[in-house]
Amino acid sequence: MKDKVLIANRGEIALRIMRACRDLGLDYVVVYTEADEQSEHVQRNIDSESNQRRAWRVASYTDPNDILAVADHTKCTAIHPGYGFFSEDYRFARRVTVRDQPLTFIGPKWEVIKDLGDKINTKRVANQLGIPTIPGTDGPIYNEIDAEEISRRLLEDQAERGISQPSVLVKAAAGGGGMGIEEVHEIEQFRRVYRQVQNYAKRQFGDPGVLIEQCLRDYNHLEVQLLCSRHGERVHFGTRNCTIQSTGRQKRLEAAPGFDTSCFPYEFDAPAVLDEIVENSLKLASHVRYDNVGTWEWIVSRSGQPYLLEVNTRIQVENDVSARISYLNGQHPNLIREQIRLALGDKLGYSQSDIEFRGTSIELRIVAEDPQRGFAPWIGTISQFSFPRHEWSAVYTHVPTDRPYAIPSDYDPNLALALVWGDSMAEAKQRARRFLDEMVIEGHNSSGAPINTNLQYLADNMDRLLTF
Amino acid sequence: MEDLRKRLLKAEERISYLGWIKEGSEWANLPALQEKLQGLRDAFYEHSHEHLAEKIGALEESLTFLESRCEESLSPMERVRIVRSPLRFSLKDMLENVYEEYTELGGEEDANIDPALVAARASIARRVKNKVVMQQVMVIGHEKGQGEEYRQGGSTKPWGNEKALRYMRVAETEGIPIHFYVFTPGAFPVEDYPGAGQQIARNLYAMAKLRVPMIAVTSEGGSGGAEAVGMGDIRLMFSHGYYSVISPEGAAAIEGKIREGVKVPKDLLENCAERLAITAGDNLRHGTIDRVIQEPLLGARRDDFAFFRRVKDEMIRATDEVVLKTKSLRAFRAYELKMEKAGADDDLRGYVSWELADDEIGRLILYRSRKYRQMAIQGYREHLSTGAAMYRRLGRGLAKFYYTLRYDVLKSRHKQVKKVMEDVSGEGSVLIKQVSAPFTAAYDFITRKPGSRVARSSAGWGSSSPEQIEYGEIYTSSLANEDRTVSCPNADKHGCKDLWVPDLYGEFCGVCENCGHHFPLEYQWYMKHLFEPDSIREFNADLASINPLSFPGFDKKLEAARKKTGRPCAMITFDARVMGVDIVVAMLYSDFRNGTVGAAEGEKFVRACEIARIKRRPLLSYVHTTGGIRIHEGTLGVIQMPKCTMAVREYIDSGGLYIVVYDNNSYAGPVASFLGCSPYQFAIRSSRLGFAGPRVIRDTTGEDVPPDYHSARSALKRGHIQGIWDRRDFRRNLHKSLMTMGGGNLYYR
Repeated sequence: MKDKVLIANRGEIALRIMRACRDLGLDYVVVYTEADEQSEHVQRNIDSESNQRRAWRVASYTDPNDILAVADHTKCTAIHPGYGFFSEDYRFARRVTVRDQPLTFIGPKWEVIKDLGDKINTKRVANQLGIPTIPGTDGPIYNEIDAEEISRRLLEDQAERGISQPSVLVKAAAGGGGMGIEEVHEIEQFRRVYRQVQNYAKRQFGDPGVLIEQCLRDYNHLEVQLLCSRHGERVHFGTRNCTIQSTGRQKRLEAAPGFDTSCFPYEFDAPAVLDEIVENSLKLASHVRYDNVGTWEWIVSRSGQPYLLEVNTRIQVENDVSARISYLNGQHPNLIREQIRLALGDKLGYSQSDIEFRGTSIELRIVAEDPQRGFAPWIGTISQFSFPRHEWSAVYTHVPTDRPYAIPSDYDPNLALALVWGDSMAEAKQRARRFLDEMVIEGHNSSGAPINTNLQYLADNMDRLLTF
Repeated sequence: MEDLRKRLLKAEERISYLGWIKEGSEWANLPALQEKLQGLRDAFYEHSHEHLAEKIGALEESLTFLESRCEESLSPMERVRIVRSPLRFSLKDMLENVYEEYTELGGEEDANIDPALVAARASIARRVKNKVVMQQVMVIGHEKGQGEEYRQGGSTKPWGNEKALRYMRVAETEGIPIHFYVFTPGAFPVEDYPGAGQQIARNLYAMAKLRVPMIAVTSEGGSGGAEAVGMGDIRLMFSHGYYSVISPEGAAAIEGKIREGVKVPKDLLENCAERLAITAGDNLRHGTIDRVIQEPLLGARRDDFAFFRRVKDEMIRATDEVVLKTKSLRAFRAYELKMEKAGADDDLRGYVSWELADDEIGRLILYRSRKYRQMAIQGYREHLSTGAAMYRRLGRGLAKFYYTLRYDVLKSRHKQVKKVMEDVSGEGSVLIKQVSAPFTAAYDFITRKPGSRVARSSAGWGSSSPEQIEYGEIYTSSLANEDRTVSCPNADKHGCKDLWVPDLYGEFCGVCENCGHHFPLEYQWYMKHLFEPDSIREFNADLASINPLSFPGFDKKLEAARKKTGRPCAMITFDARVMGVDIVVAMLYSDFRNGTVGAAEGEKFVRACEIARIKRRPLLSYVHTTGGIRIHEGTLGVIQMPKCTMAVREYIDSGGLYIVVYDNNSYAGPVASFLGCSPYQFAIRSSRLGFAGPRVIRDTTGEDVPPDYHSARSALKRGHIQGIWDRRDFRRNLHKSLMTMGGGNLYYR
């Protein structure tokens, strides 16, 4: 029987999954919420000329009951969660795969998502394998005396290694998204900060456990793109550098490969570090029997010491940055297509030696937000949206170019992903600047104020790419 | 003529009384008799005096005959009606006729905090060698107040019981005996501060160790309300009274599964009253009372002065008996007391002072404790061969010896030794450090390499605190094996999504992730998740519930429950460990007859208390669910209330820590006694606890209660419980409580 995929996401990723399904000859169904009715992924399917209805309205993208009801009704056999929403929810993955009428979850096995979805657990597993992680605890601490001892050791260690401003972070173990994190520079301050964080954690999350970690400054955020099949084959698609982030750790500029010795004099052997993190990523993947597309996030300090940060068990927004610089039998791979194919049980069909890396690429995330005011999201209607077309650029967007588009206030105001590539990093940066110059976005909100976008912010930060 | 008229009136009263007992049925042609009497009254002046006297005499004779016939075949339900008759004596008659003088305490008539409960200081007279001696007592009892609306028919409100407790303490201070008179159909089931169940539990807890003799007499003893003032050193009962676990109507409604508002069929009611063994004779046979005070034919009424005299004699005799038992010098007087018959000339009796010395009080309390410990031991079954019994006794003896040695004898020594050791080792370490300092410095200098410590693996930073022990993996609720969703009851209020059952009963521990509503989980879940694996060691597992009253149909139900759970009764007692602390656990669970408490459960609980006391371990009472006292065991069940409370009191007094945790639904008897008396009570979120369920409240008070009346949150507001625990944090909260709360003899702190 032919597989049918339910796309449980919105925006440009929904469009890309649709395209991948069409490439693979698979039928698909999309879901949408009331707020997204005008969106491209709905509009293309709602008046589909075929007799089958392809778009179904649900109450929310995060309601598993609704989505499974649609899947059952339309006789889907697989669910693609995209990114965000259900993509890293092992409970959803489990529910999809262990129910009475099991479906295929396009992503890793739920056990893998569970193991690697928890940062602390990932750290524990990595430590067992000897993969470097950020020095600190690998479990919540409840005891003040232990906590102080650990942070004292961390501070001494940093001082010994000649780090100019030693400091540790005290985090709420149950927290996330940057809440409940405090910095300590001297051991004398520790108890005060510890109690503060503990009280906060207790009040906010009901769990007084804290984590203690070395605080890193001057680092680059790197990612390794892996692709694994259900049959134990594993390949990688190189590294990316995602250091330029807005507050709240939202990535804004990504470049591949991870380091480029032509644009910055690194203090360390950059290619060796890249090889090391790729190798370690593959090691962890084979240990947990990883079986789909995934991204290993690393932190590399100024001195070239890599630390494993976490694993994203899903397709990522920026997967095309890596795809653009890799050649599989002379073609750029489509990672979403590969993901669906492998999730449905196909074999990889090629090996690492068939993959070549050439050139550089930069991805720009164009978002309606105000970088001056803490990246506050902008809400309103876009009246004109046009972007340049070159043979060295590609744009993914769900914003229609031929009619006004109201940005739904329920979701992040992402407008488009632009991909620019070139033979060298200098050329790619140059082209990216030009692309941003030629981009036109106009619009007003309800009070008549013009649209805020991060175009200028992206251009300003272009120079910081791949540097320390 | 006047005396004839009086006799006629009296005869009429007797007819209507008979009619009341027979509940309007045409038994023995009562209406014809009534007609005859009516004829006599109508033609009162038409007959001569002699003729009339003759007629009335004949009528009286046939009435006397009828009364004795009726008395011979009194059914339990008829006894209930006698007790409820407006002609029956009440506490006020007692105070006026049994005692010489009395002063009512805590209000009078309706100007009273709770008119249904009367406390009074009274003096009772006895003649000693031509001299009248007054002895002071405290009288506490229910006043039915026939026809007086504000007394609620003797149904005490919590604050009434609180008043009783207050004057019990007064009596304790003054050192005078207490006479309890129980005339209550049951407690008034309100949950306002402090809550009916809560107050009964407090009363029981206080009475367990009250330092004065207590005599309780029961005329109408309805379950919990009766226990609140009924824990006597000697328990008497009027021959026509009833003492029951539940009102016959209530039992019939439960047994017959009668829907609310439907009248209970009469034969079912009679049947239930019969089966519950509520009469004085039944109770005497089962040992829940000690003696019966004989009443005249068809029960005493308010003008039976001979009866009151007998009551007075019995009360004096009972009090003497209690007091004499505690005296070392008592042989002759005790013998005399034994030989004496009630109602005999009281000249013969020697004087017994009711004041007790300290050692006598000790004995009084000891005898009381033994008395209640022995109650209802025929209500359960234990399979033990002689060898096993011997072995067990030996084991108990050894354990007692071992723990006494360990905690009583060696503990103080141990502290001293430890102190000396600390001093020595402290001195030693300083000395060694001083001596070796130069060498260490040199060694460090030589072996030091630049950056040697940088290479240290980042593994091993984390300390494995006990919190990290994951027991959760070993057991998943069997409820989690279905592919379906359930709706959260708070979905409307909090917008919770439907929950997928494997998630809900697996990882969420039965808790809605959005609003925190707790769905019920089976008790096995707690056994696996709360305690350290392999630390559970069950004891007294062979104690079995039986059907002591031969309640028809109950054997089958018991068998079904046994088959369903594989256990012989509704309580599990075991040793366990929580994050390194050894505790004893008594667990009531719902699968076996809805967690009702009968003789077997009570006995198991008492033994758990004893073991916890011997081993110096904290006692956790985890109530998965309890539906109250098991009605099929009649008063053998009710007696578990004082019995278990006594055990708890002794355990706490010996320095133990008693923690109670309520889950799901906990109602009635147990909550009003051995659970409710704990100073540390907690509830799991979304649980319900209280004295009586909404239906019973509606039936008794005629008022509807709000839906959250029994919720844990309301109980917390009322001060019944000390906190609400999340099921997922149960273990940590329990450990914290064990480390921070009460109990003087806990060795681990």
